[in-house]
Amino acid sequence: MPNQVTYRVFDFLKEIAPFNYLDQEALLRVAARVEVRYQPPGTIVFRPGEPPRDRFFVVKEGTIELYSEDKDGNELLIERCGEGEIFGIRPLLAEDNYVFLARAAEESLLYAVNSEGFRELITNYPRVLEYLMTSMAGSSRYAVEYRASTSPIPTDTSRIASGPDLQSLQSVQQSREPVVCAATETIINAAKKMTENGVGSIVAVDEDQRPVGIVTDRDLRRSVATAVVSRQAPVSIIMSSPVLCIGSKASIADIQIRMLRSGYHHLVLTEDGTDKSPVTGVVSEHDLLLAQGNSPAVLIQEISRAQSSRYLKELRDRAEAILAGYLEKQVAISHITAVMTQINDEIIRKCMKLGLARMQADGHGNPPALFDWLALGSQGRGEQLLRTDQDNALIFENVPEEKYNAVKDYFLKLADFVTEFLNEAGYQYCDGDMMASNPKWCLSVSKWKEQFSHWMHENTAENMLNTSIFFDYRGVWGDGSLPDKLTTHIFNEMAGQSTRFQASLAQAALQNPSPLTFFRNFVVERSGEHKDQFDLKARAMRPLTDAARVLILQARKGNINNTFRRYEALAEIEPQNAALYREAAEAYEVLIRLRAEIGLKRGDSGRFIKPEELTQVQRLLLRNSFNPVREIQQLLELRFQLNFLR
Amino acid sequence: MEGKEWLNKLRARFTGAGNDDWPDWYRTYRQRNATPPAPSRLVSELPIVVLDAETTGLDIRQDRMLCLGGLRVHGNSISLREKFEAYLHTPPGHDGKPAVSIHGIIPNSHRYTYVKEPKLLADLLEYVGDAVIVGHHIGFDVEMINRSLQRNGAGPLVNRVIDTSNLAKRLRPAGYWTPENDYSLDALARRYRIPLSDRHTALGDCYITAVLWLKLLTRLAVKLGHDLRMEDL
Repeated sequence: MPNQVTYRVFDFLKEIAPFNYLDQEALLRVAARVEVRYQPPGTIVFRPGEPPRDRFFVVKEGTIELYSEDKDGNELLIERCGEGEIFGIRPLLAEDNYVFLARAAEESLLYAVNSEGFRELITNYPRVLEYLMTSMAGSSRYAVEYRASTSPIPTDTSRIASGPDLQSLQSVQQSREPVVCAATETIINAAKKMTENGVGSIVAVDEDQRPVGIVTDRDLRRSVATAVVSRQAPVSIIMSSPVLCIGSKASIADIQIRMLRSGYHHLVLTEDGTDKSPVTGVVSEHDLLLAQGNSPAVLIQEISRAQSSRYLKELRDRAEAILAGYLEKQVAISHITAVMTQINDEIIRKCMKLGLARMQADGHGNPPALFDWLALGSQGRGEQLLRTDQDNALIFENVPEEKYNAVKDYFLKLADFVTEFLNEAGYQYCDGDMMASNPKWCLSVSKWKEQFSHWMHENTAENMLNTSIFFDYRGVWGDGSLPDKLTTHIFNEMAGQSTRFQASLAQAALQNPSPLTFFRNFVVERSGEHKDQFDLKARAMRPLTDAARVLILQARKGNINNTFRRYEALAEIEPQNAALYREAAEAYEVLIRLRAEIGLKRGDSGRFIKPEELTQVQRLLLRNSFNPVREIQQLLELRFQLNFLR
Repeated sequence: MEGKEWLNKLRARFTGAGNDDWPDWYRTYRQRNATPPAPSRLVSELPIVVLDAETTGLDIRQDRMLCLGGLRVHGNSISLREKFEAYLHTPPGHDGKPAVSIHGIIPNSHRYTYVKEPKLLADLLEYVGDAVIVGHHIGFDVEMINRSLQRNGAGPLVNRVIDTSNLAKRLRPAGYWTPENDYSLDALARRYRIPLSDRHTALGDCYITAVLWLKLLTRLAVKLGHDLRMEDL
């Protein structure tokens, strides 16, 4: 009969991969054979070269560090295993000797699991084996573990090869031959062909079947039905050209994103994704809708039709359902952020329209000058998944001195409405009043230039904070030319007096020390409202965004706002650091995903997390993202010689 | 009767010889314990058994054992497989005791498999053998077991017994910051950060005590500056 202590072990193991794949009875048998090992700090669990033992280890409490030794006996930290993590598993599978040195970094309790009994279980539980194999293979241990923990049980080999079952990453099914015609074909014949084949579009091709244009139902209605163009005219007269092409292997997600970005309703599939290869098919927005029940495209259309901010809130709630689905299906973060940014932008634009209409209705008339509405912070970087506080600003063209106050007054009123609508749509007012409705952040181009110059010359802590928020601006509505003017100004300014400003900015990026010291894996907040919680944003994400910003400014790439794109760009500019930058980008993706998952679960911004609410895989991923944080901070320190400044 | 038992004890202590009336299981146990562990033996090499008894109350003369738990410790490992766990029926007249609310063992509940007292004792001595017995305020548990042994015609436990509360006192003597009552299992578990689940089940307390034992040993070794031998305890 299982006793209380066995149940205690069972309770602990049942949350941990791969034990969570076992059924209760089997796991109880495993738990009953566990040996509890106590490791005082500094003691060795096993050494490299030692023959395998009949057990592997799970950390119950404390931290075990795994080191590899080079031939001179120098130790290199490979892994730090915290609570709930497994190590020393290699002998279980491979009959190898131990490769690493395992030593207790602090007072630790281990559950030593008898591998004999466990090996027998493996045959009955394929997911356990899959987990163990994947966790051993490959250098990027974490990504692999994540995949193993979320992928379904493979039923056959083809399933394994196709990877995770992911609807939106499947390519669109091509069941029929594409309907094409020559560009010289008459409109009436093309229309007949479309009717015969029951399709809504036809691709005009050249002799080599390469696409030169596309004719849709709508083109036919617009031109022929209204008798503007002769039916006997060649299709080339009415076709849209050139066509937007995409590779025939493109996933639904790829196609969706292309449509969102381009505003095209049809994409032509070709062999190599360009119009220089033969047509293999056509995808319309409608096809996508059929392929995907809940589509962002539909949502965006709905947003543009919305007449009230309350309905916007409802739509944004629906967007969160889409987000949850994406997260669950492990859709690439770059895709998720692109879609969500698009949705957020659309809502901002709608609020602008509602605001402008309101200004009209109140008798304030049209905007008295060109202007751009700027999204700041995470929305400015295009990384906002959940609704957070609004961070925005407004920039308007320079106007004569005597008109300045009247113009500014108009835009402040407008911003009041817009921020109010945004608030009603669920984007809370910003605590720090970083909003366009604040007279400080509703300025003309030249006043903004002065503001930025001031921040760059007076490197106080407050200015550096403002810089970190305002530098990631992105025009969302308006003329579109004003943000670029500001960017040009900033780079000119930096050319004159760059080093000190950049160093201060880098310094500010180091304000949040990397979370490498451990209290059961995490640095938690020591006091205040979020005591014993981990500040995901301040401790892990902000160091990465801050570092990306200062590095990209140094590289003079003003037009890249997104943190992972910044790191991607940096990886190309500095090939010697490419690996680190890619790791940083990956870590950032992991953090965004984690924050969104937690935030969705709790219905808040997901900023503060309690270590105990994370699954083991999430902890693993989080902890691993700390490494690039630290390395990036070291790079900043070296590059900007910050150790001399401090 | 009392006199004879006293004489037997004395004789056993001085001669190591057995008593003719002892049950076989006790005789075997005594043979295994012919020689106590040498003071120079390393603690980490000796077999250790952590014991804990749940009883009907705290009165040595009147109260009875309800459950006895034991865990074996080798070096730094606690083995969950080599556990000892046995339940006794609540003797008549003890069913209404307030202790029920502490250990939660409902008198004669069907959740447990019960054994008779002689069987429990025989199994226990077989399990303990010549191991060093460790427990928290273990004097009480040993006395409970000894009384039970006596009722069943056997001699007392002769193993070396170590009380974790005494170890804790050596590491941190009572004083202004550490009141006398701060050596309870709960207080020590909190001090040495041992989670307090399964408290007041015999095995649960054994487990907490076993972890406490390992943690205290390490600290004592650090304090003394050498690996612990029996003579250090």
